[in-house]
Amino acid sequence: MKYDVCVIGAGPGGYVAAIRASQLGLKTAIIEREYMGGVCLNVGCIPSKAMISAASFLDKAKNHSSPMGIEIEGVKVNMPKLKKWKESVSAKMSGGVSQLLKGNKVEIIKGEATFKDTETLMVSSSEGDKEIKAENFIVATGSRPIELPAFPYDEETILSSTGALDLEAVPKKLIVIGGGYIGLEIGSYLKKLGSEVTVLEAGGQLLSGLCDQDVHKTLERSVKKQGLDVHYNAFAKDYKKSGRSVVVTAEVNGEKKEFKADKVLVTVGRVPNSDQMNLKGIGVELDERGFVKVDPRRRTNVQGIWCIGDIAGQPLLAHKASHEGVMVAEIISGENRVYDAKTVPAVIFTHPEIAWVGRTEEEAKAEGFETISGKFPFGANGKAVSLQETEGFVKMIADAKTHALLGVHIIGPEASNLISEAALAMEMGATLEDIALTIHPHPTLGETMMECAEVTLGHGIHVMNQKKRPARSANGSAQA
Amino acid sequence: MSTTNLTLPDIGEGVTEGEMVAWLVKVGDTVEADQPVAEVMTDKATVEVPAPDAGVIKELVAKEGDVVPIGETLLKMELGAGSAVAASSPAPKAEATPATPSSPTPTTPAAPQAVASPQGQVNIMPPVADSDVLASPSTRRFARELNIDLNTIPGTGLAGRVTRDDVLKVVGNSSAGTSQASSAATPSTVSLPTRTNFVTNAQDERVPLRGIRKKIAENMQMAKRVVPHFTLMDEADVTQLVRIRNQAKAVGEKYGVKVTYLPFVMKALIATLKEFPMFNASIDDDAGEIVYKKNFNLGFAADTPNGLMVPVIKNADQKSLLELSAEIIDLSKRARDGKLKLDEMKGATITITNMGSIGGTYATPIINHPEVAILGMYKMVKKPVYIDGKFKAASVMNYTITADHRLIDGAVAANFLKSLFSKLENPAELMLHMI
Repeated sequence: MKYDVCVIGAGPGGYVAAIRASQLGLKTAIIEREYMGGVCLNVGCIPSKAMISAASFLDKAKNHSSPMGIEIEGVKVNMPKLKKWKESVSAKMSGGVSQLLKGNKVEIIKGEATFKDTETLMVSSSEGDKEIKAENFIVATGSRPIELPAFPYDEETILSSTGALDLEAVPKKLIVIGGGYIGLEIGSYLKKLGSEVTVLEAGGQLLSGLCDQDVHKTLERSVKKQGLDVHYNAFAKDYKKSGRSVVVTAEVNGEKKEFKADKVLVTVGRVPNSDQMNLKGIGVELDERGFVKVDPRRRTNVQGIWCIGDIAGQPLLAHKASHEGVMVAEIISGENRVYDAKTVPAVIFTHPEIAWVGRTEEEAKAEGFETISGKFPFGANGKAVSLQETEGFVKMIADAKTHALLGVHIIGPEASNLISEAALAMEMGATLEDIALTIHPHPTLGETMMECAEVTLGHGIHVMNQKKRPARSANGSAQA
Repeated sequence: MSTTNLTLPDIGEGVTEGEMVAWLVKVGDTVEADQPVAEVMTDKATVEVPAPDAGVIKELVAKEGDVVPIGETLLKMELGAGSAVAASSPAPKAEATPATPSSPTPTTPAAPQAVASPQGQVNIMPPVADSDVLASPSTRRFARELNIDLNTIPGTGLAGRVTRDDVLKVVGNSSAGTSQASSAATPSTVSLPTRTNFVTNAQDERVPLRGIRKKIAENMQMAKRVVPHFTLMDEADVTQLVRIRNQAKAVGEKYGVKVTYLPFVMKALIATLKEFPMFNASIDDDAGEIVYKKNFNLGFAADTPNGLMVPVIKNADQKSLLELSAEIIDLSKRARDGKLKLDEMKGATITITNMGSIGGTYATPIINHPEVAILGMYKMVKKPVYIDGKFKAASVMNYTITADHRLIDGAVAANFLKSLFSKLENPAELMLHMI
């Protein structure tokens, strides 16, 4: 028996590909060795969002209710119960994936997959080995946390993100090695739950300096205000256990320093799982960073083998994987598709949240665009004020000549939800006028998008405009 | 997937549809990769569509005589039943697939772009996301499904956005002659007047304007609208040329090549073009620039059963009279048989139309836009000519030069013809200009 499509990995790339393939009438199987829904639903996006939601609830109850006249006493965290609730969220989502797969007639096979040759997969499980043949294999096996040789994960003291999401108790003191988005998300919510958090970042900026520089400034100020102790240019060297605590030695700006904690979280990035499954053995080519080389249709160099999601390269984001999953399934069924998205929204669930699409102002200028940009602060938005979430802003960057949107950067409340409008605008080739002239409902956080477009055009209503309004010609484009 | 659809591939610039002329295979046939399976006539040429891979033909979807848009399914085939694909050894398939030089998908695993496609030759156009082109995701998908590279379409929307209408404009009415109304539209930038008050009666026969005839119609209309034509006519005494050509003809027969007057006229034309570079040029209207061509690619009008075709002799200045003769014969024959390749009809810098074998004293030809001139040559006759106080029998031949008055003044054209004639009338001078 031969499948039309066999998907390996039931994460947000794989399960989506399998469902679409089956919808298109292809005989489809999916193989998963661990959990349905993959890292995302089980030890990544979803459980971390559950924890962040709980921590933010606690933070509001403790620190923000009193000014509103809500007096709450004796707020405390019941960690085992919180953990159980978090698990229930994951279980619900993961169970949903299984149901969807079954409902779409995708055959689910549990086990560890290895390529025997380019047409045959060996799947090992407790029930023994099984050979699977398929015309097309979609490899969607994702990535895993990078392990530092000096800090091997034991998930007791030295934690990966997986271990950190599954703590039985809130650590008193936590050291986070790596100020990327995973370290910041987990560090921030543990801080809210009561940990003292120290971040050791090897670079000069958090989040690898990827954001727009205005966003970085606000983020760094905000992180400091929340009480995270961030050390830049800090290289963690090794650690010693002493009793129940651990001492991490690090070189900070060339000076040796010691940091004491009871847990260490290492979040220094992720590596693709391309060293598994005998991918290299059957001739699949990898790039120098270990990602599988794919073309705009996500074909590998080996005919019939496709790769999507983290294993196929940056950005390592679930929503990119899902988009590719749908696309590859459709290509296999004979549709004419290539990966043609202008932008993949990036979302970081720090407090405040950060999200962006398109280019930063620096990138746009480096590409040779003559740009205009504008910022609208959440402090001037009624909904944000009533939420007590006034930190941050929306920033837009546009082509000075055509006003076509080049990038949108948000740091502030619900940035993760607001960015979708910007993503649509980018994909549609929208101009600032398109956004400014779209009536946005009042009073909402979404108004900040419209206001920001106005500010960028030089005529915001709810902020004082610093720039001169550009002269306009009859056809609507700005004159230089 | 074991079965695949072979769609009509993008067979050339500006080609949006093709007429299914003939199937070269039938259901059940086993074919090799790149084996021609269908003959499709586009508005420019008849092309053979190759099989994307080895396999067995399952279904012939298009019927002979159908007009098929680019990207439409021609046939369904089951892949791998042939010799090439089914490799069950653990060796990588990519290495097991034989490389065929004509295949657009190289099989070496080096570049990720170059992997073999199980769908055959789908054109990977650069994703719009990689460029500065603005177009909504649905428009991008729409264009891709029509096999149109959005990056090449000028956008008419705000900020240069490419709209769905812009895509449709490129496709034109090509998606089959479905309605009378749509077949009046034209993909060219020149819009045609719509004539509505046709008087029709039952005896009239209506056939769709399509294929080569439609293309001719569009090109002629475009040239007449864009180019202000003027034509200059004169008679050349080619008595000496006749003598030389007759000698050359006898020699040519030893090589099995029929030497006509056309190659001599070509050589004279090239020598004259070098003196008058504005005749070997184009006007780029969009850029507002004159483009002087450095190649001498001579188109020559050929009458074929399918209509007018203009094969092109590339770099004619670098070829001998014998080589030109052989190429003229080859191209003319294949033009009549409908076997010209698309690029054999592209890139002319000036065109010659030769009506000598049919008749007529003079004509006013239409310039093959974006060229700026066309040379006409007509039937040769014996005439008495009054030279040095006496009538003598002479072989004379009429010529016309039709030029784009935007670029070429009347006096310049007159001088051009004069210079051309001095070479045609005096072969010794022509020899001096030979390469």
